[in-house]
Amino acid sequence: MFSFIDILKRFEEGPYMEEKDFDIKIVYKNIKRLIKEYDIKYNPEEIITVDNSLADDVFKAGFELALETGIYCLDTKRVLKFTEEEIKEGLKTAPAQIIIGEGRDSRVLYARKIEDSRAPIIMGGQAGAPIPEEFYYQMAISYMQEPIIDAINHGGLAKVKGLEVKTRSPAEAIATMMELRYLREAARASGRPGIHLLAAESSVTCIGDLAAQSEEFLRKSDAHLIPILNEVKTDYDRLTKAITFKIYGGINVALVDPIIGGYFGGPEGVAIGFIASYLMSRIIYQADYYIIHPIHFKYVSTSVPEGMWILNIVGQAMARNTNFILMGDVWTSNGAGSYEIFWEIIANTITNVVTGSHPLGVSATNGKYPHASGLETRFMGEVAHASTKLKRSDANEIVKTFLRKYHPKRTEKPNIGKVFPELYDVETIKPKEWWLKLYEKAKKEAIDHGIKLE
Amino acid sequence: MSISESNLCKELHDAIVSGDVERAESKAKEMLNKGFDPYNIVKNCMTPAMKLVGDMFSKMEIFLPEVMMAADAFQACMKHIEPKILSRKAELIVGKVVIGTIQGDIHDLGKNIVALMLRANGFEVYDLGRDVPVGEFIKKAQEVNADIIAISALLSTALPYVKEVIKLLKDLGLRDKFFVMVGGGAVTKEWAQEIGVEGYGENADEAVKVALELMKKKKMKK
Repeated sequence: MFSFIDILKRFEEGPYMEEKDFDIKIVYKNIKRLIKEYDIKYNPEEIITVDNSLADDVFKAGFELALETGIYCLDTKRVLKFTEEEIKEGLKTAPAQIIIGEGRDSRVLYARKIEDSRAPIIMGGQAGAPIPEEFYYQMAISYMQEPIIDAINHGGLAKVKGLEVKTRSPAEAIATMMELRYLREAARASGRPGIHLLAAESSVTCIGDLAAQSEEFLRKSDAHLIPILNEVKTDYDRLTKAITFKIYGGINVALVDPIIGGYFGGPEGVAIGFIASYLMSRIIYQADYYIIHPIHFKYVSTSVPEGMWILNIVGQAMARNTNFILMGDVWTSNGAGSYEIFWEIIANTITNVVTGSHPLGVSATNGKYPHASGLETRFMGEVAHASTKLKRSDANEIVKTFLRKYHPKRTEKPNIGKVFPELYDVETIKPKEWWLKLYEKAKKEAIDHGIKLE
Repeated sequence: MSISESNLCKELHDAIVSGDVERAESKAKEMLNKGFDPYNIVKNCMTPAMKLVGDMFSKMEIFLPEVMMAADAFQACMKHIEPKILSRKAELIVGKVVIGTIQGDIHDLGKNIVALMLRANGFEVYDLGRDVPVGEFIKKAQEVNADIIAISALLSTALPYVKEVIKLLKDLGLRDKFFVMVGGGAVTKEWAQEIGVEGYGENADEAVKVALELMKKKKMKK
C-alpha cells in the first residue's frame, strides 16, 4: 500500500492541469468512450438488474477509468495517476469485514453479496441535515432506542448556544465536540454506550475532525466521512482528515456522491465514475467502508429511478468483483410525518439490500429539514431485513410498484412532513399516536405487496 | 431569405449545440465576412442554440460537460462578434448575474449548472468560482453593474457567510442596487425568506425562472 507520504509527494509531482481540462478532456471524454465500448445502458425497467455481465462491465469500465484519469488535487492542480498494480493492491488489501462500535454494542460490518441472506447492518439518523440544538439529544435517542438500528449517522449542529457555526471558524470545532457529546450522552441514555458513530457532521473541514480525535469524542471504533469531491477530485483538507484519523486509529469512510447529469454524465457514466472513485479512495484515503450516494441534479433524492439503478449496478459491480463494504444511502424527497416517505423507503431500501449494500438513512427531505425520527428508520430496518429474503427479479417488481406511487408526482412536489417535536413527544421520546398509525398502515401495505416484515 | 432561414445560420446553430468550438467559430467568421448583421447572428442563430442546449439539459438529453462545450463555442463566436455590437450588446442580454459558491464552501458543481443554465437563457454571467469571500460578490457586482447576485451554499456552516453578504450590502448602502438570489443543498425557501433575499431556486430550472422573473420586475420598475 501507498504511505500517506507517498500520496502527498505524488500529488506534488503528477501532471499539472487546469481543472476544466480535467473535467472535460480527461474525465468526460473517457467516460463517453467507456460507455460506448462496454455498451452500458440504463434501463428504467430494470431498476434491479439480473444481468451479471452488465455489473461486470461497469466494474471493468470503472477500473479503466481510474487508470486513465487518476485523481485531481484542487490545491496542487496536479493529477495523481495509478498503475494497474497499485489499484489491484488497493483491492487486495481492502477489508472484507471490520468491527464497528464497542463492547456489547459492537457489530461486524461486512461486505454484502448480491441477494445476501445475512442480516444487514442498519445505520440510522438524519444525515446531512442541520439539527437544532434544542432537540438534538432527544432526536438522537429516538434512533438509538430502536434495537434494529446498529449504528448512527446523524445530522450536524447549525448553532451552538445561539452561536451560528461557520466553516473554518472556531465554532466548527466547538460544534463538532458538542455534537459528539450529545450523541455519546444519547447513547448512554439509550443503554448503548458503545454504539458505532459515523460522525461528526458538524465537522465540514478538518478543523472539526482534529478537535474530535479523542476517546471522549470520536473513538477509534467510530468512523468519519471523507468525501471525494465532484468528480474524482480531492484537496488538502480532505487528505488531512484521512491521514490524521487513520494515524489516530479510526475508521475512514469514503463518501462518493456524484451528480447525475454532472461531469460523469447520465446514470451510465455515474455508475462507472463510482467504481473509479471507490478504487482510488481506497488508496488515497485508506478507506475502510464506502457510501453510495448518487445525487439527481434536479430531484436530489437517491430514490428516483436513475439513482436506484445506480445504487443497484454499483452495488452489484462491487459485490461481484471486490470485497469492499458498501453502505447505500436512503435519501428521500418526502419527510417524516408524510405517508409518501414510506414508499420511498421501501423502494430505496430493497434496492440497496438486494444488490450488495447495507442501508443508511433515512435522510428525509434530502437532508434539508430536521423532519425525521427514529420511527421511519425502524421501518427502513424492517424492510431491509425482509429484503434478505428477496431475489433480484421479484425485488425489481416491488421496487417499480412503489416507485410509481411517489415518482414523479411526489419527488417534484414532495410532502416535507413535520419537524421532530411534532412527530415525537420530546419528554418521553415516543412517537405520537398519529405518526405511529401511519407507520402501521405502511407496514400493512408493504406486507400486502409481499414484503415479509416481521 | 431571413438570416434564421440561411444554411450558415443553421450550421452555426448546430455547431454550438454540438459544442464544436472550431466549427462554430469558423461559421461565425464566415457569416460576418458575408455581411450578415452581427446583432442578428447572435439573436437568431446563437441565442436559440444556447436555449436549446439548456432545454436539452433540463430533460437530461445532454449533460453538464456538453453544456460547457456549447458555452465555450458560444464564447468563441462572441470574441469576433462582440466588438462589432458593443452599442447594441445590452439588447441581447437578459440581465447580468454575478454568481459564486460562498466562502466556507467548496462545492461548486450545482453552482456551475446554474451558471450555465443562466447563460443558456441569455444572461451574462460572471462566475467567481468556489469559496468566494463575502466582499468579492459585492465588488464584482459593482464593477460589472450586475442586476443579480446569485449565491450557492451546500453546507449549512456556509450559510452565515451568505447572511454576511446581505449585511455588507446594507452597511454599504447597496442593498437596493442588486437583487440577491440563493440556492444549494443547505438553503431552504423559508431561510431565504428569513434573510430577505429576492429569489430562491430549488434547482437550476427554478433558478432560471426566478432570475427571469426578477429581471421582469426590474423592467417594470423602470
